[in-house]
Amino acid sequence: MKDVPLEEIVRLAVLAGEVLLRNGAETSRAEETMYHIARACGADQAECFVIPTGVFLTVTDVSGRPLTTMRRVKGRTINLDRIAKVNELSRRLADGRINHAEALAILSRVANERTGFSLVPAMAATGLVGGSFAVLQDGGPGELAAALLAALTVRYIAHLVSRLHGVQFTFEFLGALTAAAIGSAAHYFWPWLSRDVIVVGGIMPLVPGMAITNAIRDVIAGDLLSGLSRGLEAALTAVAVAMGVVIVLAVM
Amino acid sequence: MMMKIAAVFVMGTAVGIMYRIPRSLLFYGALNATLAWLVMVLLAGAGTDAVAANFFGGVALGAAAEALARRLRRPATMFVIPGFFPLVPGREAYTTMRYVVEGRYGPATEMAAQTLLTAGAIAFGIFVSVTVYRLALAGGLWKGADRC
Repeated sequence: MKDVPLEEIVRLAVLAGEVLLRNGAETSRAEETMYHIARACGADQAECFVIPTGVFLTVTDVSGRPLTTMRRVKGRTINLDRIAKVNELSRRLADGRINHAEALAILSRVANERTGFSLVPAMAATGLVGGSFAVLQDGGPGELAAALLAALTVRYIAHLVSRLHGVQFTFEFLGALTAAAIGSAAHYFWPWLSRDVIVVGGIMPLVPGMAITNAIRDVIAGDLLSGLSRGLEAALTAVAVAMGVVIVLAVM
Repeated sequence: MMMKIAAVFVMGTAVGIMYRIPRSLLFYGALNATLAWLVMVLLAGAGTDAVAANFFGGVALGAAAEALARRLRRPATMFVIPGFFPLVPGREAYTTMRYVVEGRYGPATEMAAQTLLTAGAIAFGIFVSVTVYRLALAGGLWKGADRC
């Protein structure tokens, strides 16, 4: 366990950090996991620095030779399943239940496998989020159905827009636009349905829950740089959603 | 009321699926969502201010999430996310936008303040319970704790 080459340690730890960051882990988790992995592989010292768009790692071996790597992380998604798997992996590596080579194999598989649900169940779940929030807002069966449809459509737009990498906040804007349009249309054809409840349900999947939660956790952990940028991300998302809704409300 | 509890439970599960939480944890996330929402609604029903009710909902959510995270040895985020959604002040945010569009800036400002305060209260509630948990850990009140 203690004779892993420095390059291999860095490769494993940086990959773990990249997978965590790419799938929406908070900063302190990425830093701690990289540190524990490097130490478990026999590094004498390890220093990591993680910001939402990149990972920096310096590992020093027992002879005092340092090696620094930096990995730019582009295109963040949300996949808590992968975070749980990397978390489990780092635990098992630290306990000595798996060795370095096994860990690297598992990690490569985790990074590339398709996890979670395919499009149709994901759309159904997103629809349920919207529909059940409509129920919480005292909506009846009609509002439930319309909010379900609106939220479903939002998820489908996410599927269409996901190919346009590097264009931030477009999806939130288009999603809110569509949800508001569906709400207004439903209210136009069936005037007894509440437009407000339908639109609120429809924009529910666009709430930046992950950004807000991570911003809180980063600030608590003292990672102010990440906390601020994630907080700003949440605020800008909210603005994009508001713009989409406001345009439709102003026109219709 | 039973209808709404069922809706919160469904919502917690659905949010879990949306954020790809491991399937074995979906139930706990939904349970946490129901707990946080019940705390919020019961307090609001008992006459507590909406912002304070949301704050205590956030406290309950954060505390339950940390406890589950320690117990099941999974990141706390997985239990916070589903619980957070039913509390989101979506209705208030939407009403703000509607007032702005209708040119009623007075009520719009009022509603915007309400939205921001409610959202801030939830976030601060989670913040408080996580901080208290960490302080308890640092103080050694919780033996055999482990990083999660």
